[in-house]
Amino acid sequence: MLLLDSIFIGLLEASPLILAAMGFTLIFYLNGFMNIAYAESITFGAYFAILFNVVLGAHFYLAIVPSMLLSGALSVAVYLGIFRPALNRGVGPTEMIILSVGVSFLLRYGLILAVGPVNMFLNEPNITYLQFLGMGATNLQLVALVLVLIAAGTLYWMIYNTGLGEQMRGLANNHDLAMASGINPHRTSVAIWFIAGCAGGLSGIFSGVFAQVTPYMGWNVILITMLVTIVAGVGSVRGAVVAAVAAGILTAFITLVTKPLYAEVILLTMFIAVLTFRGARTA
Amino acid sequence: MDYLIFSFSLMLVYIGLAQLLHIQFGMAGIPNFGVVGFWGLGLYGTGVLYVTYDVPLFIAIAIASTLSAAVGYALALLVLQRSGQAVLAATLALSAIIATLIVSEKDITGGVQGLGTIKFPFGDMDGRNIVFMVFILIIVAALVWLSAKLRDSRMGRQLVAIRDNEELAASLGKDTASTKRWVFAVTCGMMGVLGGMSAPLHQFLVPYQLAPSLTFAVWIALVLGGKGHNLGAIVGVFVTFGLFDILIETYAPVPAEQAILLPNFKLFCYGLVLIMIIMFRPRGMLGEDKPKVRARPAEVEGVPHET
Repeated sequence: MLLLDSIFIGLLEASPLILAAMGFTLIFYLNGFMNIAYAESITFGAYFAILFNVVLGAHFYLAIVPSMLLSGALSVAVYLGIFRPALNRGVGPTEMIILSVGVSFLLRYGLILAVGPVNMFLNEPNITYLQFLGMGATNLQLVALVLVLIAAGTLYWMIYNTGLGEQMRGLANNHDLAMASGINPHRTSVAIWFIAGCAGGLSGIFSGVFAQVTPYMGWNVILITMLVTIVAGVGSVRGAVVAAVAAGILTAFITLVTKPLYAEVILLTMFIAVLTFRGARTA
Repeated sequence: MDYLIFSFSLMLVYIGLAQLLHIQFGMAGIPNFGVVGFWGLGLYGTGVLYVTYDVPLFIAIAIASTLSAAVGYALALLVLQRSGQAVLAATLALSAIIATLIVSEKDITGGVQGLGTIKFPFGDMDGRNIVFMVFILIIVAALVWLSAKLRDSRMGRQLVAIRDNEELAASLGKDTASTKRWVFAVTCGMMGVLGGMSAPLHQFLVPYQLAPSLTFAVWIALVLGGKGHNLGAIVGVFVTFGLFDILIETYAPVPAEQAILLPNFKLFCYGLVLIMIIMFRPRGMLGEDKPKVRARPAEVEGVPHET
């Protein structure tokens, strides 16, 4: 019973994390650096939803699509404006991470200067509490879970079965060979950054509607996203999904058994342990 | 006046941390994103020993910083031979673990309610905060001098060799893994010392002080000043912390309603500066300095000349 509960709660809680980890992995795989500024894709997704849902008064489900697309557009803008010039200048992977911290600061504190440091709330659609087989969830959580599963499935299909996915994998593995085979690196990269931004935005919208929208929400999940991605192995989108689901279920399980605070400690310790023993397969 | 002394003391602590990061990252190439964790172990270790167990301040600092060094050594054993990105994530995770444990173990750390009060040493002497500041100044000056010595030494050249090509350094018969571990452990221990010295400065400890923003402030200062230059830490901290936290926050005529946004504006500017530096001057304001030793011909000790 405890096991079933933790799997169920874990899946519900992990659904935003799965999307975030997939998007983060895409960029990590394509460009070979950990983009800390991805946190802001998540945060801005939620704030775009605030714009459509609260300021403009659209229904929550209607606000999802434009907010997601805007988040993707922001991701592309950051890539074209900052990360692509930096990559062209030959900035190394560790310096790219520091650069992405700078971008993250710029966006996050720019946002705070623009909208103020207050927490905001999305207008949720009618919430009913459903129960089956002794387990309960709100309709919103179930919709989120289904939407995340659809989005994750689409993303997965795109990476492993479409031309774009093949081009991306080609560019990541051997940039010169991919270009010689006629792949346009520019177009592929823009597409990948757009998709990753959309995934992050969607993740932010759902974590925002479950709790609250704050300027720090992306930052709070980026560490766990980063660790999930590294543990999964560079650019393994399959691995990212598995690791994100495992992290969610594990957190739920430990939280049910002990204090919530210990769940984080145990999870992070396990991540360090995995980094130690996975050896060469880590980043 | 007291506030200014507090700010200067804190600035010295930042310079010390950035100097140690210069050794870790600038020389040995270890991206430590858990600076606040090692500093925090020193800070809270000292606080807990002093307040809960009545240990004298300087002994508490010594024990707490030994703990920092031990944790640094243990982490080094686990992940230091992995890639830079893995080290970065692991150190960041460690600092998150430490911050969470400080909150959860509230029986000894006071949890979110905080822990206090940690008094300055030297009893009721007048100007004891100034004496304490001079004390920190001596420690930080010693650190700067020592890292210049390290740069010019055989050990320093070995660290640079490890940073640039660890396989090559190892193939020349250097025990690179062990060197990195010890350098990392000792510098983490020194971060603990600076943490312990910060305890009487803050007097009252709250878990909020262990937020990762300290790590990033130190990183930004070092990258800005020049991660490979021995004076990069000093210049970087003066330009960031000195300019924003001391000059602008104390003296700039900002109306009260805007003043609450000032820290956010500061971090916004930090982000902008960081982007500019990495894009246009990746080695920082000062660039890199070379070891001050002349090249010597290799000599083999203990082998008699054949005539």
